[in-house]
Amino acid sequence: MDAAINRFVFLLKRRGARISPAESLDAMRALARVALHERDTVRAALRCTLIKNLRDLPLFEELFEQFFTLPQRATPAGPATEPPPLPPDAALAPPSTIAAQEAAGGQPDGDNAHEDALDIREYFDEAQMVTHFNSHQDPNDLSLAEFGQNLVLSRRRELLDQAMKNALQMLKARRLKNAGRAGELNFDQAVATLDAELIADAVADLLDELGDADVDEALVARLSGQLHKGIAQLPELLKRYLERELALRQDALKVARPARPKPDYRFSEQERRDMSEIVQRLCRRMRGARSYRRRISHQGRISVPLTLRRNMKYEGIPFQPVLTRYRDEKPRLAVICDVSLSVRNTARFMLHLVYNLQTLFERVRSFAFVSELAEISPYFDQLGIDEAIAAIFEGGLLDTEADSNYGRALECFHNRHLAAVTAQTTVIILGDGRGNRNPPQVWALEAIRRRAKQLLWLSPESRGSWRLGSCDMPLYESVCHQTEVVRNLQQLGQVTENLLRQSVVRP
Amino acid sequence: MFESIEHTIARLREQHYLCDRKLATVAFLALQMQKPILIEGPAGVGKTELAKAVSAALGRSLIRLQCYGGLDEAHALYEWEYGKQLLYTQILRDKIGRLFEGVDGLHEAVARLNLHEDVFFSERFLVRRPILQAIDSPAPVVLLIDELDRAEEQFEAFLLEVLSDFQVTVPEIGTVKAKTIPYVIITSNNTRDLSDALKRRCLHLFIDYPDEQRELEIVRMKVPDLRETLAAQVVAVIRRLRALDLRKAPSISETLDWARALVLLDADVLTPTLLEETLHLLVKYDRDTQRVNERLNWIAEPVQDPNQTPSSPAPVAATSGPPQQPAEPQPGDMEQRRQEHTARYFTSYRGRTDGRTGGA
Repeated sequence: MDAAINRFVFLLKRRGARISPAESLDAMRALARVALHERDTVRAALRCTLIKNLRDLPLFEELFEQFFTLPQRATPAGPATEPPPLPPDAALAPPSTIAAQEAAGGQPDGDNAHEDALDIREYFDEAQMVTHFNSHQDPNDLSLAEFGQNLVLSRRRELLDQAMKNALQMLKARRLKNAGRAGELNFDQAVATLDAELIADAVADLLDELGDADVDEALVARLSGQLHKGIAQLPELLKRYLERELALRQDALKVARPARPKPDYRFSEQERRDMSEIVQRLCRRMRGARSYRRRISHQGRISVPLTLRRNMKYEGIPFQPVLTRYRDEKPRLAVICDVSLSVRNTARFMLHLVYNLQTLFERVRSFAFVSELAEISPYFDQLGIDEAIAAIFEGGLLDTEADSNYGRALECFHNRHLAAVTAQTTVIILGDGRGNRNPPQVWALEAIRRRAKQLLWLSPESRGSWRLGSCDMPLYESVCHQTEVVRNLQQLGQVTENLLRQSVVRP
Repeated sequence: MFESIEHTIARLREQHYLCDRKLATVAFLALQMQKPILIEGPAGVGKTELAKAVSAALGRSLIRLQCYGGLDEAHALYEWEYGKQLLYTQILRDKIGRLFEGVDGLHEAVARLNLHEDVFFSERFLVRRPILQAIDSPAPVVLLIDELDRAEEQFEAFLLEVLSDFQVTVPEIGTVKAKTIPYVIITSNNTRDLSDALKRRCLHLFIDYPDEQRELEIVRMKVPDLRETLAAQVVAVIRRLRALDLRKAPSISETLDWARALVLLDADVLTPTLLEETLHLLVKYDRDTQRVNERLNWIAEPVQDPNQTPSSPAPVAATSGPPQQPAEPQPGDMEQRRQEHTARYFTSYRGRTDGRTGGA
């Protein structure tokens, strides 16, 4: 059992879950105390000891299904993955284990041929199975004659379905061999009818074959009777089949498409919550929480030790109480956000981020720029998010239609607002660094960096395209403490996660 | 004592706490393995209730530590009773004078005083806060550390020693080891991630909203006066409310409050009017109220007379359906969107006051 659990933990770790040795030990201790034949109990025990993060839960469920499910056609002797039952519960365990596991263990991605084969077996009596159903176990090894046999033997539609599927696979393969145009595999009506004819021909051939072979006469008669029924339904069945195939293919296409995260345009309640949660985590990292150090002040609680000490001279009679309060670490943040056309798609997202930062941090000064730079913190202080963003885009404050000019904006910030940056300030710049071939003024950024505690640049543009066109990001990147690509919540979450891991922001 | 998982379920049921096998397994293992449970989940799904039910089922007393921002070890672990120390020094002044009778020189006096130094830093002057109480108690207790995510991250560090070794180190005295191992339950509303070190020491349990069947059972058990049909309606409506994208989805405790309110109002069946009148018991934000009102038809569907609904399936208003998620862009729409985007990119933005640059 230990080996099995170790292997399971190893797989979980390899897929990204963080599990310490102490936790795998706990898992083993927990398993020693529960009945191992109950699948759900084992699952709950493993889950509560190994998985401490909600994000890892889907991974655990998936791996558990895969790992602790018997392979469908395994030998009945317990394979290595099945932990042997422990003594106290052993008496009632073994038979129910496999049954339960088989009941619960449907392949997640339902291989139809497999399941159908399982179903069908119930509808045959032993003798027929021995003679006709022998080599069907392996779905790859199918011949027209064999699927024909199964077709003939069908008493149920499911088997016919199965046969159709096999036939279709074969026909597909055949069509591929003499395909007219390269890379084209279409399911239009003409081809479908052609296939139907082909199958009908094949079935007729099969019937002849059966007649030639030395099979029991009565059986052949019965079979051909059933076969005619089958052929009568053939067109309809085929149609159903093609439809199903088509639907499956479309599903596959749909699934394959959204590989890249789409940029977010609007914010639902859920996303607002997510955003504020991520920003809160970022914020905690930047300032820690309220500091645990206390300081002497005029208000707050009486500190008994300090009072005692100060009043020693009065023989311990507390004439002079000493009050202390918690020291708040004062984080300062300066956010400089590009709102020009080239980043318009992400500007709303970025401003949302700025807004959230401003509600959480005590001292945030935010600036927006296109070519000119203007302070926007008062807007966010007084207005709600939607009004504030609308006010900025409306252009009263800035000419939002000018070409963005990073050099000028940085210089402007350096000349007018550098006082906003102190040794406790983290400066965050949001923008793509495309200054329309204006002088990049890297020196201004360097000056900002020298004053700031931390300089962070979040760009909505992926790293690969920084070298294209008039992008100054490579110049700016070398100056910043850190540059990250952020264009939606998901990536912001990842960046936050990285910051937390590396603890860059707060040394 | 919980003897098995089934026994755990039964004992908790006696305390009117319905739990599924997953939860019972964790509750059982925590007792067997003497490990704390860390419960995460949205507010109002019965995290705190579990601690109460466990303490009643085990016949142990419950010690509760409610966490809040700024909670420190002086409120959670122990504190020296300075006032008492001060008072005792004053009272014992003449006794101390007698202590020095017949002493020659300062050195000898200090040496003699040294012998009695630890009198004032003994357990006599220690105020026991919940955690020290829990491990110092002669009979085993249930210790509930509620909403740990409200306290600062530094506070978690104080808990680590208690949670893994069940001991508290007081610098002046030494280590206080647990006389009996408490059953520790920590809850968190998941507003922030707890530290890995803490999670490693705990069994982890996530409680979510129950399924319809279980919620109905809970309502029936906790509010037995409620009529059966009404209970089913209540649960159906609540489930529809949770399907909406609300800022604060109604929890189980709110379901129960609502059910009790309906009993007090002496309601026989839930009518759409009654639903509208009592909505403020369930929906706590202005914005949510608006959103619910927009979809009131759909929410009230399970409430309506069953004879009426099948006859008129056609006039379903646009607002009566389940909430639509923002639609995924279809491949066919992509070309159109690309054109729109190009057009937007090269034309003026003046007049677009919504600030929105995409979507349909």
